[in-house]
Amino acid sequence: MVFEHDVLIIGAGLAGLRAGIEAKRKGVDVAIITKVYPVRSHTNAAQGGINASLDEGDSWESHAYDTVKGSDYLGDQDAIEILAQEAPSDIIELEHMGVIFNRDEEGRLGTRAFGGASHARTYFVADITGQALLHVGYEQSLKHQVKTYSEFFATSLIMEDGACKGCVGIEMRTGEMHVFKAKAVIMASGGVGRAFEPSTNALICTGDGMALAYRVGAPLMDMEMVQYHPTTLPSNGALLTEGARGEGAYLTNSLGERFMTKYAPNMIELASRDVVSRSEQTEINEGRGINGCVMLDCRHLGAELIHTKLRQIWELARDFSGVDLVTEPCPIRPGMHYIMGGIKAGIHGETYVPGLYAIGETSCISIHGGNRLGANSLLELVVFGRRAGGHAAEYARSQKHASGGENLMDADAKKIKALLDKAQGGEMVGKLRLELGQEMNTHVAVYRDDAGLKQAVAKVKELKQRYRNVGLQNKGSVFNTNLLAALELENMLDVAEVITQSALYRTESRGAQFRTDYPERDDANWLKHTLAYKTDGDPRLEALPVTITKWQPQKRTY
Amino acid sequence: MQANLRVRRWDPDGDRTVRYDEFTVDLHENAMVLDALLDIRENQDETLSVRCSCRSSICGSCAMKVNGASTLACNTKLKDVTPNGTTVTIEPMGNMPVLKDLVVDLEVFWNKIHAVKPWLQPEGPDPVREYIVADEHMMNLINTVQCILCGACVSDCTVMEVDPSFLGPAALAKGYRFAADPRDGHKQERLETYAQPGGMWDCTHCYQCVQVCPKGVAPMEWILQLRHEAEAAGLTNTNGVRHSQSLAESVKESGWLDEAKLAMDSYGALGDKMKLVPIGVRSLLKGKMPKTGPFHHKRPGADHVERIFEELEGKHS
Amino acid sequence: MKYAFYPGCVAKGGAPELYDSTLLVTQALGIELEELTGASCTGAGVLSERNPELADTLNARTFAMAEKLGLPLMNVCSTCHGVMSQANARLKQDPEYLARVNKHLAPEGLEYKGTTEIKHLLWVLMEDVGPDKLRAMVKQPLGDLKAAPFYGCYIVRPSWVLGYDEKPQRKHYLEDLIEVLGAEPVEYKGATQCCGFPILTMNRTNSLTMTGNHVSEATAKGADCMVTPCPLCHLNLDGGQVEAAGVVREHLDLPVLHLPQMVGIAFGIDHEKLGLHKNFVDTKPLREKITGRLS
Repeated sequence: MVFEHDVLIIGAGLAGLRAGIEAKRKGVDVAIITKVYPVRSHTNAAQGGINASLDEGDSWESHAYDTVKGSDYLGDQDAIEILAQEAPSDIIELEHMGVIFNRDEEGRLGTRAFGGASHARTYFVADITGQALLHVGYEQSLKHQVKTYSEFFATSLIMEDGACKGCVGIEMRTGEMHVFKAKAVIMASGGVGRAFEPSTNALICTGDGMALAYRVGAPLMDMEMVQYHPTTLPSNGALLTEGARGEGAYLTNSLGERFMTKYAPNMIELASRDVVSRSEQTEINEGRGINGCVMLDCRHLGAELIHTKLRQIWELARDFSGVDLVTEPCPIRPGMHYIMGGIKAGIHGETYVPGLYAIGETSCISIHGGNRLGANSLLELVVFGRRAGGHAAEYARSQKHASGGENLMDADAKKIKALLDKAQGGEMVGKLRLELGQEMNTHVAVYRDDAGLKQAVAKVKELKQRYRNVGLQNKGSVFNTNLLAALELENMLDVAEVITQSALYRTESRGAQFRTDYPERDDANWLKHTLAYKTDGDPRLEALPVTITKWQPQKRTY
Repeated sequence: MQANLRVRRWDPDGDRTVRYDEFTVDLHENAMVLDALLDIRENQDETLSVRCSCRSSICGSCAMKVNGASTLACNTKLKDVTPNGTTVTIEPMGNMPVLKDLVVDLEVFWNKIHAVKPWLQPEGPDPVREYIVADEHMMNLINTVQCILCGACVSDCTVMEVDPSFLGPAALAKGYRFAADPRDGHKQERLETYAQPGGMWDCTHCYQCVQVCPKGVAPMEWILQLRHEAEAAGLTNTNGVRHSQSLAESVKESGWLDEAKLAMDSYGALGDKMKLVPIGVRSLLKGKMPKTGPFHHKRPGADHVERIFEELEGKHS
Repeated sequence: MKYAFYPGCVAKGGAPELYDSTLLVTQALGIELEELTGASCTGAGVLSERNPELADTLNARTFAMAEKLGLPLMNVCSTCHGVMSQANARLKQDPEYLARVNKHLAPEGLEYKGTTEIKHLLWVLMEDVGPDKLRAMVKQPLGDLKAAPFYGCYIVRPSWVLGYDEKPQRKHYLEDLIEVLGAEPVEYKGATQCCGFPILTMNRTNSLTMTGNHVSEATAKGADCMVTPCPLCHLNLDGGQVEAAGVVREHLDLPVLHLPQMVGIAFGIDHEKLGLHKNFVDTKPLREKITGRLS
C-alpha cells in the first residue's frame, strides 16, 4: 500500500513522539512509523533525570557552560545555548502534560545532583525518569491522535530531486512492504549500541536511521564519540543510573579507596562520564580492580533512600548480579552506552539533505560534543523534538509529494527477496553481529590506538564481505525477526565502518575518544567535528569547525 | 549450566498446527529465560519469533507464560524455573490471539488502555510554573507509573478469560492513576466511566494480576482503590457498593456476616432479589441451618467490634 | 495438639456441614480446638477495601485472642486464611502501625504482640499431623476415586504472604492430601483459578461462567468429585452449579466436597454426621461408589 502524510517521523521514542505532537499542533498531517510499540522504545531505559536551570539560584548560562565543558569543547555553543535557554519551559510543559516528577517539601519540582553539573538541576521521577517521560509522551500522542504505525520497519528513504520524500517499510505483522510518502521526514531512530558487545542498549538499537540517512547522502558527524557509562553490570551490561552517585554513592577499588578523589578532586564521583570511565579502566588495568570491575557502594545511603529513589537499580542489581545494594557494594565496570555522534543536524534538526531532519540520539547537532552529560539526553529529545516537529511542519506546507506509487518499493522488495531466497549454510546473522560487537568493544572502547583502530577497520570490512553470504533460516512473512536482524546488521556494519574510520581520522584525544598514541587534546588542529560521507569505497572524511559563542576552550578538569 | 526448554510454536505461514519444540541450551549460572530464547533464535532455530528489547525489565516487550504463569522472560532466572533439571514450558501470553510463536496480538491490550483516556486532563489554564502538589499525594501514583504496559496482568486475568469486555487490570490501574492525580480535572467523569459494567466492579479480586506483575504495581489494589473513590464520589447505585456496605454493616452490628441479609441487600433490583428465593428454599430443604440457629444474632464481644468501627470509620487514608 | 479455632462466618452460617465435619475430623485426630466465639469476621477482603486499618484491627483482635490463649490459630476457609495472612504480615512488619492498632484493642483487655501463627486446616493436616499419621487413619479406602482439587485464590496468592518461598510444598498440599487419603488427584488448569464468588452479585454471568468452566474442565479430565478448602468457593461450585450449567450450556453434575468432608469419608466417619446430604449437588452416587453402599 501507499500511505501519504505531510510529516513522517521514523521512531517513536520521546524525540519522535514530541516531534509528532508538535507537528500535529501545527495542524499538519503527521504520522509516526516505529519498529516497536512506542512504549517499548529505548528512552525507557534512561533512569536518572532531565536537566533544566529552573532553580532560582541557577542560570541557563551555568547549564550551558557545564554542557560545553562536559563536551570537551566539541559541542556547538549556539545549539547548547538554545538547549539551556529552552529547557526550563520544556520541563514545565512536561509537568503540565502529567509527568509525576519528584517534589520537594513545598510541593515544587525537586532536583538531584548529576555528573558534570555545577548546580543541582536534574529533575527526576525516582530512577525511572526515561520511562515516565516516554509514557507521558505516548499518552499525549494518544490525546493529540497522532497516527502511529507500530511494528513497521523502515528499509530505505525515498529521494526525489535531491530531497527526502518518505520511506519504504515492512509491516512486521504480515511481511508486506509499504510506501510512506511524505513532504518532510524526521529521523528519530535512536542509537547503535548493538554494534558493541556488551552494551547497555536494547536489542533494537541498531543504528537504522543513521544508516538510512547516510545512504542518501546525509553525513554522519563525530561518530568516534562513543560514551562508555561508568556503572554498568558485568553480566549483561545493564545500566545502574548516575543518579546513585548523584544521591551520594561512592566508587571504590580493590583497596577500598574512593579512587575518583585522585582523578577528579572537586567533583569526585560526579565528574563527567568519560573521565570517570577512564579512571575506572585505569584502576582495573593497573590491577586495582576485582574481576575486571570496580565497586559502586550505596550502603551508606540507607535502605529507605535506596528503596524509594533508587528502587529500579536495586532490583537490577538483585536480579542480574545477585547483589543487595543496601548491604553490599556492587561490581560494575564501564560499558558502551551512548553515541554522541550521529546524523549531522542543525538547530531545527535539519540535515544536509533537504526534507530530512534528525533528532535525538540518532542526530548530532552537536549538543554533546565529545561527551554527553547525564540528564542532557532526555532534555535534547524534548527540546529538539519540539523544534524539529514545528520546523518540519512549516517546511512541509511548501512541498509536494514524490511522484510514483508502489513502484517506489521495488528496489527494497528485490533486495529482501534476494536475501530470503539465499540458501542457508553460509553465514549466520547472530554470529556476525557478535563478532562485530566484540571487535568494537575491544579496539574502539575507552582506550584506543592506531593499530587497534586499523584492526577494527579491517574487521568491519571483513564482516561486510561475509555478510553477503548470510542465508536466513526463516523464510516466512509473519513477524520474521530473522530478516529484521539481517537488515539491522547491515545497518550496523555501515555505521560501524564510519565509527572506526572517524576514530582513526581524529588524531587527538577529546571527550570520549582517548587515543594512547595521541593522548593530548589538540585545539589548534582539532577544534573540529568529523564528517563522514558515503562513497562507493571508504567513507570520505572531512572536518567542520566547532561553533564557539561565549566559552573559549580551556583545560578540562573536575 | 544446561537447561531444557519446551517452546510453543505456531506459524500462520506453515501448517498452522500448534506444536511444542524441545531445545537445550548451555549458558552461564545467572542466565535468564530470555538469554535462552535468544540463544535458540540466533544459534539453533532462526524461525523462532519473540518480542524483546531492553533485557532489563523496563520495556515490557518480553512478557510470556513461563510454566503457566506470565512473567518477563528477561528477569526470570533460568535456574529458578528448571529446578532439578526439569524442563521449562514457554508459551505466549493468554487472553490475546497468537500472531506467531510467542508473539501475541496486542491490539486487544492497547484498546483497553486507550478506553480509559490515559492522558492528563487538567481543567482551566495551566499555572505559569509547575502545579504545586505535595509529594505524599503523588506517592500512590509513583507506584502505578511503574507499569511498563507489558500485558502480564491482562494475560492471566481470570475475568478477562471469560469476559473480553472487562476493561482489565492494566487499564483500570491506569485509570486510577489519572482519577487520583490532583492535577486532573475530570475525576468524576473518569469514575463514572470506570464504574460502568465491564469496569471496576467486575474485578473478582483473585490476586492473579498482583501475583504476576513484574514491577510490583499490584493493579488489583488500585482497582479496589477506584471502588473506594467511586463510592466516596456518590456512585453508589451498583450491586458492588450495596454488597460492600451491607457487609460492613453486618459486621459492625453483629460481629459477623448475616449471609441471607447480605445476599438480599446486594441486589438493587427486586427481580434480582427474587432470584435468591429458590436458593433459600433449596438451602432449607437440604437442612442447612446455621450453627447458631435460624435467626442471626450478635457474637460475644460484638459491642467491641462496633466500638472499633466507630473509632476507625471515616479514617480511610 | 491444640489450636485456637476460627470458624469464620460461612461455616457457622450457610455451610454448617463444614463446621460439623471439621469438628469430627479434628476429634478423630485427637486435636483439641478452642473456638474463638467472639472473633469477628475477617472482612473477607471487602472490608479491607473500604477501610484497611479497620479490617486489620478486627483481625488483630482475633490474633490477640489466640495469642492470649497461647495457641496457634486454625481456620477452615481459604479466604479467611488469605485475608488474615495479609493482615498479619502488615501488622508484624510495622511496629508503629501495630501500636496504633493495639490502642483500639486495649479497652477489651487485648493486645496483639505479633506472634500468632495462622494455619488453614489443610496446613495443619499436612504439616502438624503429617502424611504418615493421616495414612494410618484411613479406614475407608477411596478406591480409584479421582478428586479435583480447587484451592481458592486466597490460599494461593499472593504467594509471598503465604510462606511459599520457605515452604514451596504448600503449593500442592491438596493434591498430596488426596493421594495420602488413597485417591487420585486430577490435574487441571482450574485448580488454582478463581471460582467467581466475589463477583456473584456484580456480574452473575461471569461468576457462574468461571464456576461452570472449572467444573466442566474437571469433569472432562475424569473427576468424580471436587474438593475445596474454601466455603465461599463451595457456595459457587456446589450451590451455583445448577445455574452455572445453564450459563455454560453443559450438563454438570460433579459433587463438591468440603475438605474435612473428604477427610472424614476416608476416616470412615458417618456420612450423615459429615453433613454430606446437605451438599447441593447430590453426593449419594459418589458415596455409593466409594463405600459400595451408603453408610
